[in-house]
Amino acid sequence: MAGLRPIKFRLLELFSDEKEHWNNEIVEQMQKEYGMNSNFGRDSINFDILELASGGMLRSVQSKVDEDGVYKKGFLLHKYAITDFGKTRASDACLEYV
Amino acid sequence: MDIRELKRLENKRKMNKGYMWALFCAVLWALWYIPGTIIWAIPPFDTMWVAIDATNGASMATLIVAVLITAFNALTVVIALLIWNAYLGKFGELKRTLKELRPCSKWFFLAAIFGGPIAILGSFIAIGFVGAGFAAVAALMYPVIGSILARQWYGEQISRRAAFGIVVIMIGGITIFVGGALADLAAGNVSWIGYLGGLMCACGWGIEGAIAGKGLDIAEPDVGITIRFIGENLIWWIIIIPIVALAGYPIIEYAIAALNPLSILVLSFAGITFGYCYVTWYKSFPLIGVGRGQGIANLYGLCAVIFLYLFLAQVPAWTVLIGGALCVLGSFVMISEDTGDMESLRGE
Repeated sequence: MAGLRPIKFRLLELFSDEKEHWNNEIVEQMQKEYGMNSNFGRDSINFDILELASGGMLRSVQSKVDEDGVYKKGFLLHKYAITDFGKTRASDACLEYV
Repeated sequence: MDIRELKRLENKRKMNKGYMWALFCAVLWALWYIPGTIIWAIPPFDTMWVAIDATNGASMATLIVAVLITAFNALTVVIALLIWNAYLGKFGELKRTLKELRPCSKWFFLAAIFGGPIAILGSFIAIGFVGAGFAAVAALMYPVIGSILARQWYGEQISRRAAFGIVVIMIGGITIFVGGALADLAAGNVSWIGYLGGLMCACGWGIEGAIAGKGLDIAEPDVGITIRFIGENLIWWIIIIPIVALAGYPIIEYAIAALNPLSILVLSFAGITFGYCYVTWYKSFPLIGVGRGQGIANLYGLCAVIFLYLFLAQVPAWTVLIGGALCVLGSFVMISEDTGDMESLRGE
């Protein structure tokens, strides 16, 4: 796909709707957009979300155990929302932020 | 297992991973001082020094040789990093990130200025004028600058315990540094340019880490570090080397002469250790924060002293041993911190 932006830019963009999103849903969408369909691609995108969270741009608002194995069975799923700092960094990155 | 427990575990795993990266960085960084020392004695760098010494004096000779070695170091590092990115399949992301000059990659180019011609050149100057052991420990001060800037610029939190660990590491570093300088003074031969080089590493790396953090917020570390070294290569090979050549030094001739098997071997070893030390260094920052990442990576000071003793038979002074012990102690103070309830490293 033409005009793809760096992965973390796109992640912040996806969260810029100020809604809360589960990590597995975001990862799935990103895998499709960037054609990263392997397990390595999945973990790599999820690690980027983790980095954004530990960098204070996303915050985890809710967690649940992945009982049904929609992402990784037995592990935690996280629901994230963008923080004010995340919004600032997103607009630094020239994302169209409403 | 309840969700709180799982969450605590997950957070702990994340922090442990960050500390693991930082420790790898320490070992690789320390190993780098071995090729960093050997390269000076290898043709054509040895004859280059003698030739420039004959016309411009020893100090200038050391300086110019340090410039050429640093430029080659940057070149082998970027090759090592490109191989790493190819292995991870990140060339696409590399291209995407490079294109985002204004919001993102400019920070890496800025970091390259402080990391390359200031910190790494300073290192080689310190190695050339004073010695690798000194060069290694002189840079130990960089987390002070790194954590203060990270705190000022992006309000990164430093817990009391982490601050205490950093202070202990600093005291260790100063013990090693002052011990060496005193011995030099007693011998009546202090290489001030070498000490300035030591200061350049400390400031350069501290500033680099803090600036790079700004770009790392929104980039992948493997890609970020590669862009930073692409920037450093441009600085050396497009700007500094031609200027040195125009100033009348035979740097191009020796650069071509350096393309011989032995020096390529030693330079590749430098590139591999240094390149991957940077990869691990940058990887640790988003997980444990710039201040802590730099603090743990600081164990390289002690590792370097051990490796230099093992491989090059450079025997450390007693001040080095005491200082080294303090560095280990300080790092353990930081590692043992309970990170269970730490959600984010930044203040909101």
